[in-house]
Amino acid sequence: MNRASQVEPEWFTDRAEESGLTFRHVNGTEGKFYYAEVIAPGAGLVDYDNDGDLDVFLVQGGSLSASGIRDSGLGIREPKSRLFRNDLALNADGTRTLRFTDVTEASGIVSNGYGMGVTTGDFNNDGCVDLYMTSLGPNQLFRNNCNGTFTDVSKQSRTDDSSWSVSSAFLDYDRDGWLDLFVGNYLSWRVESNTPCFTPSGRPDYCSPNVYQPQPSRLLHNNHDGTFSDVTTASGIAREFGPALGVATADFNGDGWIDVYVANDGQPNQLWINQRTGTFRNTGLLSGTAISAHGKAKAGMGVDAGDFDNDGDEDLFVTNLTGEGNDLYVNDGSGLFEEQGARSGLGAASRGYTGFGTAWLDIDNDGLLDTLTVNGAVQTIEALRRVNDPFPLHQRKQLFKNPGQGRFEDVTARGGAAFELSEVGRGAAFGDIDNDGDTDVLVANNNGPPRLLVNNIGNRNHWIGLRLVGAAHGSPSNQGQARDMLGARVGIVREGGPTLWRRARSDGSYASANDPRVLVGLGPSTTVSRVRVVWPDGETDEWSSIETDRYTTLREGGTK
Amino acid sequence: MSAGTRAVAAIAIALVVDIACSSEPRTPRPSTAPPPIESDISKLPPAVLPDLSQMDNAIQQQINDRYQSGAYGETGKLLMAAEYFDAAEPFYLRAQALEPNEMRWPYYLGHVYLARAEPTKAIGSFERALSIKPDDVATLVWLGGAHLDQGKPELAEPLYARALMIQPKAVSALFGLGQAALARREYARAVDQFEQALAADARESIAHYPLALAYRGLGNTAQAEAHLRQQGRVEVGPPDPLMTELRGLLRGPVAEENRGIRAMDGGDFKTAAEHFRRGLELAPDSPSLRHKLGTALSLMGDTSGAFEQFQETITRSPDFAQAHYSLGVLLAINGRIPDAIERFSTAVRYQPDYVEARLRLAELLRQTGRPAAALPQYERVMTIDPRAAEAEFGYAMALVQLKRYEEARRRLSEAAALHPERKEFTEALVRLQAIAPAPRR
Repeated sequence: MNRASQVEPEWFTDRAEESGLTFRHVNGTEGKFYYAEVIAPGAGLVDYDNDGDLDVFLVQGGSLSASGIRDSGLGIREPKSRLFRNDLALNADGTRTLRFTDVTEASGIVSNGYGMGVTTGDFNNDGCVDLYMTSLGPNQLFRNNCNGTFTDVSKQSRTDDSSWSVSSAFLDYDRDGWLDLFVGNYLSWRVESNTPCFTPSGRPDYCSPNVYQPQPSRLLHNNHDGTFSDVTTASGIAREFGPALGVATADFNGDGWIDVYVANDGQPNQLWINQRTGTFRNTGLLSGTAISAHGKAKAGMGVDAGDFDNDGDEDLFVTNLTGEGNDLYVNDGSGLFEEQGARSGLGAASRGYTGFGTAWLDIDNDGLLDTLTVNGAVQTIEALRRVNDPFPLHQRKQLFKNPGQGRFEDVTARGGAAFELSEVGRGAAFGDIDNDGDTDVLVANNNGPPRLLVNNIGNRNHWIGLRLVGAAHGSPSNQGQARDMLGARVGIVREGGPTLWRRARSDGSYASANDPRVLVGLGPSTTVSRVRVVWPDGETDEWSSIETDRYTTLREGGTK
Repeated sequence: MSAGTRAVAAIAIALVVDIACSSEPRTPRPSTAPPPIESDISKLPPAVLPDLSQMDNAIQQQINDRYQSGAYGETGKLLMAAEYFDAAEPFYLRAQALEPNEMRWPYYLGHVYLARAEPTKAIGSFERALSIKPDDVATLVWLGGAHLDQGKPELAEPLYARALMIQPKAVSALFGLGQAALARREYARAVDQFEQALAADARESIAHYPLALAYRGLGNTAQAEAHLRQQGRVEVGPPDPLMTELRGLLRGPVAEENRGIRAMDGGDFKTAAEHFRRGLELAPDSPSLRHKLGTALSLMGDTSGAFEQFQETITRSPDFAQAHYSLGVLLAINGRIPDAIERFSTAVRYQPDYVEARLRLAELLRQTGRPAAALPQYERVMTIDPRAAEAEFGYAMALVQLKRYEEARRRLSEAAALHPERKEFTEALVRLQAIAPAPRR
């Protein structure tokens, strides 16, 4: 066979259904255009049983009104969020088979209310990752009991914020070694206060967010005893807020302290710079990340931070509404940004889409971060309505390759059949679900099934996978496990290319929880000279011999 | 601030909430095929009307009338005004084929393609319009903007320069040149262009933001921050008679409401009232329209007219919280405090998170000697909106009235630390020290 006749494999293949992710999101739509029904859901990739592979948490909606799903005759009864265990099998021929088992009942997770999103982190430092689920009502914190089960500790931990929350993030903002919690709150909305909205031609449609008042986001400080204290006001976070939809935490100004970026829907975004005193200062406007270069606020939805230009700092990518285009904020290293949506081509290419879940990911492990967006409108697409589409909000996903010259290439057409599907995409969680060294994507669709986009091209280059963990607390229940050090930065020093800086994180995207492991594509490099980790408390460790093409756990203090 | 001014300001707050309740149209997604510029009309895709059944009757009738008269371009305009962009396109294409020397059709097509996020087609259409009418400033500016959005400032600049030759003080062209310079990282030139734009139009413009970024690029943080503080919401666009005409085409309550809102934004309350009245003729039960009419009348100084409209809104829609609030404001100004309290209470009963109404209720309760009743209202305001320094202040003052001086002192101290820009907290602390000195420790 000559090379010209070879057909390139599709870059991603959807394996959700065949692997057992039997789930369908229910938004409860009854034709009343309730605002909340088009905002969810998110999804999470989380190794809840510490067996080394990522399990799946899918957030469920339900009925918004009293006479909803339960009485509809659709056969859907009290839909709940679900936890699926990954029973990944490594076959004799080296291939891998994904198989998921619904373990929701056994896990003890009982989601209440109308779910929005999920974030993950080990808040009690017992080495077992916990789940925080955001909702259109009280949020829920599920403490992992380290035996495959969870306990709902929302009330006793004082994390049961009753606002409408969407995205949230665990972060250690005060460097005390315990994960605090930022909860992004959206709007003040109830079914009873749903406002009818209309198109200019008089047809009912979903409202825009400025119809409702934004609710303040919350910063909850970890008290080290299983409880949290609301420090929203004391930290200065209360001073400014908008309808928050996306949250990403990272050290944006390079001072070693974790900052918070909040994408707001239709109002200026905030960049909360950590003042190292337990307080934050919003530098959104001066930093250039609050509004578009034209001077107008956009409808920020999803967000991710990552070093796409490999210059050692965290850049931001924010998804926006149809007609606006997504924003690429390029960091100069000091926390000042330049919006390069037009220059990079990402702005114009996304203008026809409403973007939600997104991330920086290295699709083919060439050492350059690419980006993927999950799209879906929030108001009726007229062309779809005209052909009597029952849910005329769906759009295709988009995939952009970073060739390293500042301008991105739209490679959606090479993504595979899953990228030809038009769906109402919302959340997206990114991680290596089959442990084969490339980034896969779990997509959460509104009013539809999830998609598990398994990466087929990561093997084009070498890679290293790192799990960055703290010192083990060594309690009997956790068998010496330590927690993922969210916010830790890792520098991969290699020959033949610049040092690659990445970070451990579960936040970012939209309402979703990512793989906290760090997966780094090495591009043309076959070996790694050194690996340097800057831990959230500012300490650094360095390793000189890390094997490629496998996962390695690096422990704070310098051990493997 | 006079009592009348306060009333206007307060009602304007209600309007902000109310305006937000009208549907801001969002742009539909694009289709993919590029439109051929076709002179043979038979080769063009058929111009088919959308399903009009769900449209407002008045609009439906207008579209039918135009369609049946065979006026393709005019039908396209109406469809476009109704945001049926996909449906409008073939009508414009046919009009363009039939009248190749008429610049309006490619111009409107350019906007259709912009709305559908098809920048390449938009650029093609605007270029075609410009070839027919080379001195059209609006087309030059829109085309320049389309090039900027494509990351091509070098193509935008000559267009803005041409626009300035035609209209030397065209704010939108100056603004565009500033944006192009900013995109090229030529910060000094960007500062110059934005400063000129702001000098030509001194309103609280969005231009302060890119100007601040240009100053930041020059390392002048002080000037950057100064302009960030002046950042406004007034948008910069070219005088655009064709689009203005298009926006005025639709007759329907939503369209009239949107036009009224635009007039309000521009400070033209009389025109706004006219649009709201026209909307009410078509939808007399719309509480939103009637409340906006009342607000416009109030801003014009017609208090009795406003009073009447707010009352009527409540009669027709008893749970419309904004009308209760606005009426409460007018009652308070007229000294009818118990009635005003009743209105504010009703407003928060129907809309518990209504910050302005709850704050006014708390203030009146405190001012009429009921500080204990005011405290929970202030607390609720602070929970809903932690930014509300007025609620913090009112809460502390209510504590003073209750002679709970130590609590008041603590609250004021905390608030002074949180809101260093608000001097009233420090001043109140000083006064409190005078009437109730802090115990020595």
